[in-house]
Amino acid sequence: MTRLAEAGLEPEAGPEMPQGPLGGVARAVAFANTWIVYAGGIALLAASAILTYSVVVRNAFKIATDWQDEAAVFCIVGAVFTASAYVQSLRGHIGIELLAHFLSPRANRVRAILVDIASFLFCAFFAWKSWTLLHEAYVDKQTTTSAWAPPLWIPYGLMAFGITLLALQIALQIAAALQRRKP
Amino acid sequence: MSILALGLLFGGVTLAVMFTGMPIAFALGSVAAVFMYFFMPAASLDTVTQNVYEEMASITLLSIPLFILKGAAIGRSRAGRDLYAALHAWMTRVPGGLGIANVFACALFAAMAGSSPATCSAIGQAGIPEMRARGYSPGFAAGIIAAGGTLGILLPPSITMILYSVAAEVSLGRLFLAGIGPGLLLVVLFAGYAVWRFRREYATAHAIYSAGPMAARNSRPSDCSAATA
Repeated sequence: MTRLAEAGLEPEAGPEMPQGPLGGVARAVAFANTWIVYAGGIALLAASAILTYSVVVRNAFKIATDWQDEAAVFCIVGAVFTASAYVQSLRGHIGIELLAHFLSPRANRVRAILVDIASFLFCAFFAWKSWTLLHEAYVDKQTTTSAWAPPLWIPYGLMAFGITLLALQIALQIAAALQRRKP
Repeated sequence: MSILALGLLFGGVTLAVMFTGMPIAFALGSVAAVFMYFFMPAASLDTVTQNVYEEMASITLLSIPLFILKGAAIGRSRAGRDLYAALHAWMTRVPGGLGIANVFACALFAAMAGSSPATCSAIGQAGIPEMRARGYSPGFAAGIIAAGGTLGILLPPSITMILYSVAAEVSLGRLFLAGIGPGLLLVVLFAGYAVWRFRREYATAHAIYSAGPMAARNSRPSDCSAATA
């Protein structure tokens, strides 16, 4: 439940699913989100396990570690970016809802749609730049600067995919809100 | 435009956009992107995503999701209630011991979870009803939990300190060490205040209770809140 709904400012809050042909897309995104969240949870646990292993072997057995830090970074960055669409579907990205308490419900709906459109524009821009970054990293075979030197297209790909899904999720929520206004 | 004016404009626009209710992450990002478009060379916009990734791929910063994961696991478990029950059993003979038990429970939970809101909700759920049942006034009971919750950002490991160490580029280990002393001092002071305040509320309630049957009927003896109100 969003904080707006808790405050009674968003009466028709529910699953923000658009009707018609977009409904299928929305269901597909919701289905993907569910599985991505499980994968992200496993990635976070894997990162904790990798870091624990790294600390133990470094301190107890005095063995140099090379791949652990970056593998953990990839796991967490991947989990954060790919799960952002799910968080958006729950309206879980933290914002300051101060203005919502002063506006009328009608003005609030307009405000919410404008905020969503601005968020969508930013995410779409970010997604576009992520894909160009990914393309560049893949073509130039870029790697990180460490001794292990894993290819950079792994985290960039997760970032591009996650932000694209996030932009799609926001677009679907805007569509649902616009459809609700019409009838 | 001078650098100062540009900085003020940037800060003002960022605040204005954040207050519209736009999620903070998107608000910061979009304002920065728009300002880069107008005031910086065109090529700088191409490196936005790379900069974001490079800032995020810091092993210090990425400990935060893991701390939140740990805090969520502890928050969902019975640890908060068990911790509170154990301290309550230990402190029950001390006058005002319930307040001390709450402060200590907050401190221990804060050290485990590293987050102030998590501490307040975990200890407050068990602690506030118990304190209210024993006649602590509502303001006092809530105040103990709220004050105890602030220990979450002071006692290591603290998520706020991780962010500070990244932003100010200072040693995280030394920050954590620096938090222990003030944190423990605050625990002692909070506990001392809880005892003092409890004795005062008790004395007021006792005075009203022994003043006469009429007064006693008007304010229930187990409820100090009526006495202090």
